[in-house]
Amino acid sequence: MLSTNALAFWVLAAITIAAALAVVLSKNIVHSALFLILAFVGTAGIYILLHAEFLAAVQVMVYAGAVAVLIVFAVMLTRRGDIRASNLYNSSYLGAGIVALGLFIATSLMLGRMNWTAGGGSMAANNVEAIADAILGRFVIPFEVAAILLLVAIVGAIIVARGVKEDR
Amino acid sequence: MITLNHYLALSALLFCIGLFGALAKRNAIAILMGIELMLNAVNINLVAFNFFLDPSRVVGQVFAIFVVVVAAAEVAVALALVINIYRRFQDSSVTDLNWMKW
Amino acid sequence: MADLHLLAVEIMVAVFGLGLLVLGLLVPRSDRRGIGYVTAAGLAGIMVITFAMRELSGVFMGGYIIDPFSNYFKLAFLVAALLTVFCSFDYIEKMGFNQGEYYALLVFATLGMMLLASSGELISLYLGLELMTITFCILAGFHLRDPKSGEAGVKYILLGAMSSAILLYGLSLVYGATGTVVIAEIGQVAAASGSTPALTLGMIFLLAGFAFKIAAVPFHMWSPDVYEGAPTPVTAYLSVASKAAAFAALIRVFFGALAELHSIWVQLFIALAVLTIILGNLVAIPQSNIKRLMAYSSISQAGYLLLGIVSYSVLGIGAVMYYCLIYVFGNMCVFMAVTAFYNNAGSDEIRDYTGLSRRSPLLAAAILFAMLSLAGIPPMAGFVAKLYLFMSVISQGYIWLALIAVLMSMVSVYYYLMVAKSMYLGAVPEGSKPLQISPGLKVAILASLLILFVLGIYPDDLTNFAMNSAVTFFMP
Repeated sequence: MLSTNALAFWVLAAITIAAALAVVLSKNIVHSALFLILAFVGTAGIYILLHAEFLAAVQVMVYAGAVAVLIVFAVMLTRRGDIRASNLYNSSYLGAGIVALGLFIATSLMLGRMNWTAGGGSMAANNVEAIADAILGRFVIPFEVAAILLLVAIVGAIIVARGVKEDR
Repeated sequence: MITLNHYLALSALLFCIGLFGALAKRNAIAILMGIELMLNAVNINLVAFNFFLDPSRVVGQVFAIFVVVVAAAEVAVALALVINIYRRFQDSSVTDLNWMKW
Repeated sequence: MADLHLLAVEIMVAVFGLGLLVLGLLVPRSDRRGIGYVTAAGLAGIMVITFAMRELSGVFMGGYIIDPFSNYFKLAFLVAALLTVFCSFDYIEKMGFNQGEYYALLVFATLGMMLLASSGELISLYLGLELMTITFCILAGFHLRDPKSGEAGVKYILLGAMSSAILLYGLSLVYGATGTVVIAEIGQVAAASGSTPALTLGMIFLLAGFAFKIAAVPFHMWSPDVYEGAPTPVTAYLSVASKAAAFAALIRVFFGALAELHSIWVQLFIALAVLTIILGNLVAIPQSNIKRLMAYSSISQAGYLLLGIVSYSVLGIGAVMYYCLIYVFGNMCVFMAVTAFYNNAGSDEIRDYTGLSRRSPLLAAAILFAMLSLAGIPPMAGFVAKLYLFMSVISQGYIWLALIAVLMSMVSVYYYLMVAKSMYLGAVPEGSKPLQISPGLKVAILASLLILFVLGIYPDDLTNFAMNSAVTFFMP
């Protein structure tokens, strides 16, 4: 019999993979975008199984919320022609398929041969505190840089998306 | 019993699906979606390693949070750039822009 | 928090960038050119301070390394940024918008590079890389009236993000295989456990990711388009500094964390180096656009730099460091001249350079001598730099590799001289006027030329500093 945990893993993994496949195989880019949200939510479920509840919340809010909404907006803003054939392959899709499949097989074979050695200790029931400590302690430099990175992205996105007035 | 290898296989599969999307699609936004899937695969890796191999510290989770932050910034800039060229060409497909050789 | 002084340079750069952003909003539109001067002055000031602090060393929070190696690269980035600013005055003014933001973004890109050179831990390495890449994507697409620029931005961010994802997958595997993100600890764990499948796989992903960033063949396809489409000063900065930064990080990761696997990655880097040197030089020959020519030329330069990595020795790292700085001056010199020409003639086509020696002897001489330095002809500094790189591989027994590199350097002389031939022997186009070059740019071009000559004749101080900084990578 499957344990609840295992059952949850298989269900979530199936949802995530199916949604991801639908993202890349769908011919309609709006469908792709919606399946992408499903894939994000499935991943968030996986995080909960791995006791990364905070990350799961971040995932739902940032990915399934902000990123996906942004993508849907961009899809709508750049829509043109027949939406049913808006997400086609380029000429090298066969090569891409071979590369991706080959990479998957190679990765699985390599990682399958690995003997993982588990470190000591166990995960605290509530690890938000530990994350806060790490971000504002050991990893304070990346944290500060992330702030600058977001600022750069905001400024850059505004400049680029606003464009120039041609009459000036 | 679900082991680390299950999660790694899931992540590898997700990564390769994303890579396929990024390499095979014509629309810039679709390529971006593929890249997002790849980043999600990376995060599953990081969190799974954290949970199974090094549970007493949260390094993997912290790394994953940073990846999420960067990905959000990247998407914002990428979509702005796509909208910018769309205004000019009325199209967001990459292969039709043969201004320069791809 | 007593050791915050270690971060002095980074903090100054970050604050300076934020200040420029504010300044851009406060200064009236008519005076925006002044922001460029402020940027140049500020960068020069930070450069002087960095130079004064070049012997500073220490580790911040266990994961951020300040040592002569990183200080050296920080100086190189600041020099490149300063020259880029000189290059930008007229170009950006012609573009006519968002000047404050442009200079601020340049400074933030420099900050990202500094992080890459200094990070002793994978998370800040990744953040630095992304700060640099995302800023460059914006800068590449900055010329909003030029469709080529927009396309360059889109291509760069799509391929940049994809390569980042690949690199990141490698980072995650390295973290999994060793249980830590601190580069020094990864090296220790790897030395204790030997090579494991996960670590090897992670290394391969990392190699592919880095190859993208340094534009090594076969991961180079983004660079000619991005180089051609991006605004010329941005291309200049992108081609020198981002490459140097990626090499700094590559050395940290491969020599620090993955030294245990060096027998494997040396072989892979040999393949990359051979392909890059041969293809970069051969494809450069038929190019008719000077920016595209320089793109392929800089691909081949990445190949030469890889030789230093292949040698896996102190000499190799020292040679890479020395070469990076010479490359900064050489490439920036060419690009400054190209920008000056573009500001006057509005063209980047090589056929329009005909007769340049009579229209502007300075520009023609700058392009000629800088290209000779890039090709490695004595007495220019590029000769010494290439000599060290070739010596480093010969000392490890790869004589055939050095032979290929020398042979392909000859080929590079050919396409560089084709440009020179057009400049010196071609006829002056009808009705052309003498070129107007701003005094600041003239000074910057002359200064870099002078440095290329001086470092070619007296390289000792710099190479000694580089070799001494490189030693730390081979100390237990």
